[in-house]
Amino acid sequence: MNPYFDPERYPTLSEDGARMLKFLREHPQAPIYRNTSGNRLTHKDLEQLTTFERKLNQSRVDWDANSSPGWLNAFAEQVYREVPFYRAQGIAPRFTDITPVSRADYSRDIAAFVPDNAPIDRMINFRTTGTSGNPLLIASHPRVAATYLCFHRQALRRFGIELTPGPQQVGVVLVGHQRRCFTYVSVTPQLGESGLAKINLHPDDWHNPDDRAAYLDALNPEIYTGDPLSFSELKNLPLRTKPRTLISVGMMLSDGLKAELEDHFNAPVLDIYSLNEAGPVGLFDANLGGHLLLQPELYVEILDPQGHPVAAGERGEITLTGGFNFCLPLLRYRTGDYASMTYSAEGPLLTGLSGRTPVRFRTQTGEWINNIDITHALRPLPLAQFGLHQSADGTLTLSLASASLHHATTSTQALQTIFGNQPIAINTIAAEDKILQYTSDLEGGTLQ
Amino acid sequence: MNKSGPELQRLTRRLAETPADFLDEPLIQGRGRVAVAALVHDALRRVGYRPSSEELQRFVGQNANQDRNRLQLVALAVWLLDEDWFNTATLEGPAVMALFDQALQQLAEANQANKYVNDSERREEFARYLLARLDYRPAGESAAQATDRLSALSSTERKRLLQESREAERRARAIREALAKKAADESADKWTRE
Repeated sequence: MNPYFDPERYPTLSEDGARMLKFLREHPQAPIYRNTSGNRLTHKDLEQLTTFERKLNQSRVDWDANSSPGWLNAFAEQVYREVPFYRAQGIAPRFTDITPVSRADYSRDIAAFVPDNAPIDRMINFRTTGTSGNPLLIASHPRVAATYLCFHRQALRRFGIELTPGPQQVGVVLVGHQRRCFTYVSVTPQLGESGLAKINLHPDDWHNPDDRAAYLDALNPEIYTGDPLSFSELKNLPLRTKPRTLISVGMMLSDGLKAELEDHFNAPVLDIYSLNEAGPVGLFDANLGGHLLLQPELYVEILDPQGHPVAAGERGEITLTGGFNFCLPLLRYRTGDYASMTYSAEGPLLTGLSGRTPVRFRTQTGEWINNIDITHALRPLPLAQFGLHQSADGTLTLSLASASLHHATTSTQALQTIFGNQPIAINTIAAEDKILQYTSDLEGGTLQ
Repeated sequence: MNKSGPELQRLTRRLAETPADFLDEPLIQGRGRVAVAALVHDALRRVGYRPSSEELQRFVGQNANQDRNRLQLVALAVWLLDEDWFNTATLEGPAVMALFDQALQQLAEANQANKYVNDSERREEFARYLLARLDYRPAGESAAQATDRLSALSSTERKRLLQESREAERRARAIREALAKKAADESADKWTRE
């Protein structure tokens, strides 16, 4: 029997889909796949996904600075009825009186945030290490994982791209570049079983490093998804084929690297603000100057440290309510990411998005500089990843990913426009993971 | 107890005034006078719920020793739900069905039906218990006050809360185990990984 027929991982797999799996996994230049996964989608799931996507395509984010979503109060009441953590608190108070929760609350006991009716037998998890020191298992479901594609397709449409369905096409390659990475192959039933490969570009995962380009050329995927670090590595491969687009998630994508990638691949790069807890939240639109919100049923607030909403245009913590993960409905969930909210004719926008707690840096003249100014100063440079730290004695250290070390001089020059002739040490980011982008040991440096 | 209900005295007074007919012998195996299944049917239809014949079968007693007290309590609940206030409320059919079917079974294990009519504390317990199962609390009380008062009065409620808390802990443990399983760790396809 064909080993690819696995009713748990691929409940609806066809002969053509099995051939695609075999091609992806057994290609002579294929990497060493270290894991197995699967779409785990049943026919019923696929019907529900079709209904969800149809509804999504007919709706839009319909709230603004002066109004909240029509579904908000009913949703909060439902969460207070069906989610143990909230039920223990009694009746739902007024929405703005609901105490926000954070990653630390989820970390303590994620089970308390799973609704009574979430099916345990098909529960899956997504593990997130994050940068806040609270590792977390997010409760999820195969249909929730597959829902990401509905939002990606919506985002791609803004760039005039419709994906090609069919088992002769590799739809997506998820690219990582880490010492250890979860790798596998699959097919996407929503796209007629087009191929999916999650690979690691790190040479240790390949029989021969030259196989990387040969394999990816053989796959010729329509889309690469990854983060700025993995795309920086992908760009160095001598690929003959070009994707139709790249989707960047998980880390801040600088304007410089975005431009470099778009030039190199001759394809648009979609910068999506996405997090394990909520999926794709916003798509960066350069013309609008921010991340346009993607989910009509996700309410986004910007809160101050006391948990009060700030005025439109003011910076604060991105806080989420709603979402499509029925195993983890969000209710005023503080993401740890910061932005301000503005409103365009196309919908609400997150502007000046930056990860984690805002940090101030002190110049030699005693002036405090907001981390957003550092972001602006370094934005034109194609940095895959960076972090800036100020020690208690005021000294500055700029950390760069090894792929970006050759930009060390231009980076320090860019920072000198802010810090004058203050020396800036350069450090290499050793861990191949997210880091806290801005940190300070100075008193008053952290704004919380 | 998310919704504000009627004044408690309206209900306890109605219980004290229960016609003797309602506490008459329920029809079991051809003996008795009160056809509880018919009462249940009519009460459910009033809230827009059409019970199946299998559901109604629960209210046709099979064994006088086991079913008599429970069926008398169901008849008592039907009488109480006929209080004018409930005609203005929007009752959920499945919640009323669950009250008749499961919740009153628990109450029947604690006391005889006539006690819930003749004893003032038990009347209060019955009224509060019925309201709570329908997600109501007495008028003028907060949810916390109503919860405290009911659990102080009712050993059935205390047992139910304990059971609920055990079940919640069992489910939480099952979720933690499901998430910790390797199969869960191997996850499912997303087009992007954050």
